[in-house]
Amino acid sequence: MKNVYIKPENCIGCKHCEVACAVEHSETKNLYTAISEEPLPASKIHVMPTFGVMTYPGKCMHCDPTPCINVCPSGAITKDPSMGTILINEEKCIECGMCAIACPFNAVSFNPSWRISIEREIANKCDNCHERITKDLIPACVEACKTGALSYGDINELIKKERRAVGRTAAQFAAAVPIEEKIPALLKVWRDMALSMSQVGEKI
Amino acid sequence: MIKKELLERTIDQSAHPILEKAAEEHIETAWDRLEAQEPQCGYGLLGICCRNCAMGPCRIDPFGDSPTRGVCGADSDIIVARNLSRMIAAGAAAHSDHGRDIVEVLHLTAEGKTLGYKITDEEKLKRLAQEYNILTDTRPKEEIAKELAEKAMEEFGMVKNTIQFAERVPDKRKDLWKNVGIWPRSIDREIVEIMHRTHIGVGADYANILLHGLRASLSDGWGGSMLATEFSDILFGTPEPKETSVNLAVLKEDMVNIIVHGHNPVLSEMVVDASRDQEMIDLAKQKGANGINIGGICCTSNELLMRRGIPVAGNFLVQELALITGAIEAMVVDYQCLMPSLPSIASCYHTKLITTSPKAKMRGAMHMEFEPERAYEIGKNIVREAIENYENRNSNKVNIPKNPVKLIAGFSTEAIIKALGGTAQPLIDAITAGKIRGIAALVGCNNPKIKHDYNHVTLAKKLIENDILVVETGCSAIACGKAGLLVPEAADQAGEGLKEIAKALGIPPVLHMGSCVDISRIMNVAAAIANALNVDISDLPVAGAAPEWMSEKAVSIGSYVVASGIFTVLGAIPPVLGSKNVTTLLTQGLNDVVGATFAVEPDPEKEAELIINHIEKKRKALGLTTPPIAAPM
Repeated sequence: MKNVYIKPENCIGCKHCEVACAVEHSETKNLYTAISEEPLPASKIHVMPTFGVMTYPGKCMHCDPTPCINVCPSGAITKDPSMGTILINEEKCIECGMCAIACPFNAVSFNPSWRISIEREIANKCDNCHERITKDLIPACVEACKTGALSYGDINELIKKERRAVGRTAAQFAAAVPIEEKIPALLKVWRDMALSMSQVGEKI
Repeated sequence: MIKKELLERTIDQSAHPILEKAAEEHIETAWDRLEAQEPQCGYGLLGICCRNCAMGPCRIDPFGDSPTRGVCGADSDIIVARNLSRMIAAGAAAHSDHGRDIVEVLHLTAEGKTLGYKITDEEKLKRLAQEYNILTDTRPKEEIAKELAEKAMEEFGMVKNTIQFAERVPDKRKDLWKNVGIWPRSIDREIVEIMHRTHIGVGADYANILLHGLRASLSDGWGGSMLATEFSDILFGTPEPKETSVNLAVLKEDMVNIIVHGHNPVLSEMVVDASRDQEMIDLAKQKGANGINIGGICCTSNELLMRRGIPVAGNFLVQELALITGAIEAMVVDYQCLMPSLPSIASCYHTKLITTSPKAKMRGAMHMEFEPERAYEIGKNIVREAIENYENRNSNKVNIPKNPVKLIAGFSTEAIIKALGGTAQPLIDAITAGKIRGIAALVGCNNPKIKHDYNHVTLAKKLIENDILVVETGCSAIACGKAGLLVPEAADQAGEGLKEIAKALGIPPVLHMGSCVDISRIMNVAAAIANALNVDISDLPVAGAAPEWMSEKAVSIGSYVVASGIFTVLGAIPPVLGSKNVTTLLTQGLNDVVGATFAVEPDPEKEAELIINHIEKKRKALGLTTPPIAAPM
């Protein structure tokens, strides 16, 4: 199963993924024209602050079983059998909000969409860039992410890679050699400094 | 982005084999790095991120969700205006600091403290001295030069409070600048004031911030850049037409190849002198070379081309490729537009990368600091380093492209007037009669987002076909040189009217007027024509274009050209579209303020149409009729 894999320790909160997502799902698919569209396109990925300076790019995880499909009364949510992607039929959505309530990741927002003729706010969530995938492209948010916080591929393969990294760290520890940093050194320095700054703020 | 085919990156034929060589040798160039950067940050592209204080960094959501203001309360209009103004400040600072260096060398030379420099154009020295009300009769030239240089130094300070060369514009323009409040007071002051006005908690009116940006740009165009041009002419001579050749094929298999790259001619002039020193030529022969070959890149190249006829290896995007030929003994750089990637690429070959300015040192390069007091000696030391490196050249790693292209450059304002027979009247008559419909200035950089040289060349061809005389500087001029447009025979590609005039005068239809500070020459031509016709510059059938721009200097240039009343089209999109108000001001509103606007058009064919339509509109307003265009066969 292919999906977007999130590595929160690499997220620096730049929101580059949000812009790329909104442009990709706009009518014109061009940054300079998308910002003038009516309605304005909305991102389907949301970078949120968490603890201290840690941020997390939250999105639909395309889970299975899929609570939103189970609760949707109008049959607007379906699963693409080939990719395992959970898709919303915008014409069928009745703005009831059940999917948002059922979603364990709170990944569903309600926004206007250029795809529907009637002006209303309908369920909006990640479609794993379904259109791009059929053209052999990776999702727009992954392409935009320059820090490695988002990657796309077979989830088992991606996890295996991460597992190896953890294994290497553990083995190095056992062999009493310096522990390899899991995140880039510069990012660690920045994060440590920013964290201590935020802690100063909390004390006050 | 879809991966561009390697050879689709440029229309410079001499670059093609070297791009292939780079790929074979796994050497990364600007095009590869652009691919790695894409997609680029949307906030940056739209100009809506602000890093001016530590409450931030802040950005505005371009899709209307929160946040709509930075922590201080600045909205997208203010953030875009502040960022754009700071780009102008950086650009004006770069040009003007270059100007300052030239003024200092003239001052030291007048005091007899330099080695290798002299006052070459005495006539220009006196003409400028008169402009500054300096007594010229019965005084030795050194004394005049010293006083002139000191007067020029005052242009940077705050005692005088006015820029001398701004007086060259028509009275209408002077009044306009004063009424709008953008008359430039001093070079450094206006730049510093941009930094002040864009500091947290100062300017919060986007239009007011941008108007001052225009004022600072004028202190560049009619101040720093113009001083750089005029004072370089005094020191090294006012350019006259010279024939030479261009593209990477100017490198020589059997000679010591030295590339001079950057913008300031003060040291590279000495390198050229030293390369002609018999002692150096003998040393080169002793080391097995047939002589010393100097080639230029970017505007150092244009400066030497204009005055010395030194061959041109290429423009901005060619700098890395020049190293990858493996045939360069030394690349000598001064400042501006030097890619920080140069040391690592040079290290793949025997090439010595030599930095010379304390302002532009590079890790991994050899530093031989320029001092005007012993410039010639330093020039010789640099040439010696190159010669002694000749034996280290690895012929297995060398690929020198073939087929250099001929070009003629050196069209200073003075040279153009001379070609016209001593007065601008024949040009004005040709414009009035419609044989030449107008003049377009093509300037600016290369940008890997745009197919290298394609926009410059396509636009220039389209304009001359339509009887518009093209004047060029900088990387634009080098692009058209490589495309064969800077020779008199290129007049055959022009419309009937322009062809007739160019053939009669024996000049190319596209005139190379120099380096990027030499856009001041173009401003002088525009002001002279407007004065002769007793109209404002904004009334003239002229336009500007920066088809492949990328640098902050280009932002300052575009701003002073527009503020001087000349419609200007940009080929790359500036980071302003995140503010609708700023975009509207720049593309429409400025017309009511300074009589000219910017336009953005990445397609050179459409860019040409915008310029042609603008020129026709201006002709009509002046009551000039245009004969129908007979396009060349």
